Amino acid sequence: MIRKKANLRITRKTILYIMLIISSSTMIMPFVWMISTSLKTTQYTLSIPIQLLPDKVTLEGYKRLFEISSFGRMFSNSFLVAIITTIGQLLISSMAAYAFARIKFRGSDLLFLLYLATMMIPSQVTVTPLFILMRYFGWLDTYQGLIVPGLFRAFGVFLMRQSFLSLPRELEEAAYIDGANRLVIFIRVVLPLSKPVLITQGLMAFMDSWNSYLWPLFVTSKAEMFTLPLGLANLQGQYLTEWNVVMAGTVLSIIPMLCIYIVAQKYLIKGFVTSGLKG
Amino acid sequence: MKKRLSISIVSIVILFTVLLSACQPAASTTIEQETLADTTEEQDIEEEVAEQVTITYATFSANAGHEEDLASLVAEFEATHPNIKVETQIVAFDDYFNKLQTMIAGDVAPDTYELNYENFVSYAEKGLLLDTTVLASNDASSDVGIFYPRALEAFQLDGMQLALPETFSTVVLFYNKDLFDAAGFSYPTADWTWNDVLVAAQAINDPENGVYGFYSPLQFNEFYKKAAQNNCSFFNEDKTETLINSPECVEALQTMSDFVNVYNVMPSEADLGGSSNSDLFLAGKIAMDVTGIWMFSSFADAPFAWDIEIEPGMATHATHFFANGAGISSTSEHPQESWEWIKFITSSPEVANLRVEKGWELPALSDPDYFTAYLEQTPPDNRQAVFDSLNYAIVPPVISRQSEMQDIIGNFLSQVDLGTLTPQEALDQAKVQVDELLK
Repeated sequence: MIRKKANLRITRKTILYIMLIISSSTMIMPFVWMISTSLKTTQYTLSIPIQLLPDKVTLEGYKRLFEISSFGRMFSNSFLVAIITTIGQLLISSMAAYAFARIKFRGSDLLFLLYLATMMIPSQVTVTPLFILMRYFGWLDTYQGLIVPGLFRAFGVFLMRQSFLSLPRELEEAAYIDGANRLVIFIRVVLPLSKPVLITQGLMAFMDSWNSYLWPLFVTSKAEMFTLPLGLANLQGQYLTEWNVVMAGTVLSIIPMLCIYIVAQKYLIKGFVTSGLKG
Repeated sequence: MKKRLSISIVSIVILFTVLLSACQPAASTTIEQETLADTTEEQDIEEEVAEQVTITYATFSANAGHEEDLASLVAEFEATHPNIKVETQIVAFDDYFNKLQTMIAGDVAPDTYELNYENFVSYAEKGLLLDTTVLASNDASSDVGIFYPRALEAFQLDGMQLALPETFSTVVLFYNKDLFDAAGFSYPTADWTWNDVLVAAQAINDPENGVYGFYSPLQFNEFYKKAAQNNCSFFNEDKTETLINSPECVEALQTMSDFVNVYNVMPSEADLGGSSNSDLFLAGKIAMDVTGIWMFSSFADAPFAWDIEIEPGMATHATHFFANGAGISSTSEHPQESWEWIKFITSSPEVANLRVEKGWELPALSDPDYFTAYLEQTPPDNRQAVFDSLNYAIVPPVISRQSEMQDIIGNFLSQVDLGTLTPQEALDQAKVQVDELLK
């Protein structure tokens, strides 16, 4: 009887693992192809059948990448913009979310719903008016032009508001009784309790800013101000693309994201685990 | 009651924003009307005061490895024109026109910019380009006779020369000599027709090894060419109606789709499975490929012998002629300097020689001396076919709402390729939609 149950468990687990391996290999396949293409010579990038392990492993793609484009400059541009956008977004959306969640003023619900409605507008629609606005400010081809429009995200506010709403009011009331004002409550009580959602929001902000293509395309014209996605796109010619160079660039551009995600993952999981405990 | 009111207000607002964003006119028509700047007055002022002037030049053909070439050309230009500085803006082709339109709408249009022929007409018709005829007549050193006449005409509208031709390319038939030898078939010649292609393709076709005889995609560019090869014209005389569903055009499309669906000598879009025809040609899986001369450098290291020939015709020959031109924005504040720059980048000997040497497209100049070096490079041996093709060159049928027309026709061609529509049905339906665009 017990053996039957154990067998069933083992079979179920095996099936589960097999399904997981299959689905994860489908997801990993593009990355494997990307890394292997970055190590090929131009000729073999598109050979059929697909060669996952290149016959001739070479760093030619990487060398040529730095020859053709100012990759280092674009990398640091992307990094700067992404970091500042992330920090800015976290600050702004958490403060706005706290106001929507805890401060009762007339029309706060309506205002919040309207703010949410802006999520309905696709970014392609707002790009041209935003461009004209940036031009009036004289912010074309500048870091401000790249960063400022990305600081405001309705989705971040929504996420944080939901998380703040779920925090018990008693904690804040206790702090209020002890003599804290709103700002202190926000910084000392609410934010530390919202670490997981802050990290999630920060991750999303960083990823969006890092991968953002449409806005930097329009706002920058000088090659020194390009961000990574723009630089990688410029490696593709009208008729001909050296895919090993493009893949080399892509591999390098993924590394910061990967590092940040690995580091943040620890906090995320810790946050989920400890949120169940009291105190 | 209050909650209901606020919810209904918000839903109306949301609906409104969604409708507003859906009401965007098509990309090609969002450019506002610009009035042609009065150039003569500015010209007089510029000629008197030679101050430091910076002009911008937007381009899509200088990326993917040619940035240094462009930079060296800019340096040469600035050396001979010390009062002019040129700032280049290089954008990848796929996004180039989006970005250009946004810049024009935002009033920061570059002084000079590159255009391909297909987009030239919509920019020209909206008055965004400066007429260079006045600038040319005031300039003693300029001679429009140095340009290849076909290319020069391509960038004229209503008698105004709105851009100068920068480069041109043609489309030819590439064939894999090794595959032909293996099948014991003789190579294509300049007077081949589609029937000859079919016979050869059937002989070489080897589905078990994934080898196809032939490839010429069912897309807009190929279609108008095949239609012209069968003496079918796309539009009627005054461009108020399309004639794409006339018997000759239908026959042309029928022949194209038969290659895929009846004789199976050509891979369909599904068979290609994401790789491009040039990839397959390079892998030795397609014996005859119709593609542009820009592929010479990527095919140069192919592991088999190959050559080119003028594209086979049907009732007559017709070959693609693509040209890129450089124009001056009608809102430019420095038309004279811009004129100097586009003159340089389109017709100076330094530029022409650099282009041929680096394999960076062909300058649109009529002097055959520039091309002797080009003709001597191999592969392919038969580079003369590039220029012979010019004898049968046709330009794309272009209207103001070009991208929409190309989308519509491309859609219907895909369906013919997949076999869901017959050529007659597809062209009848396409005609209805394209006629709408002409209104």
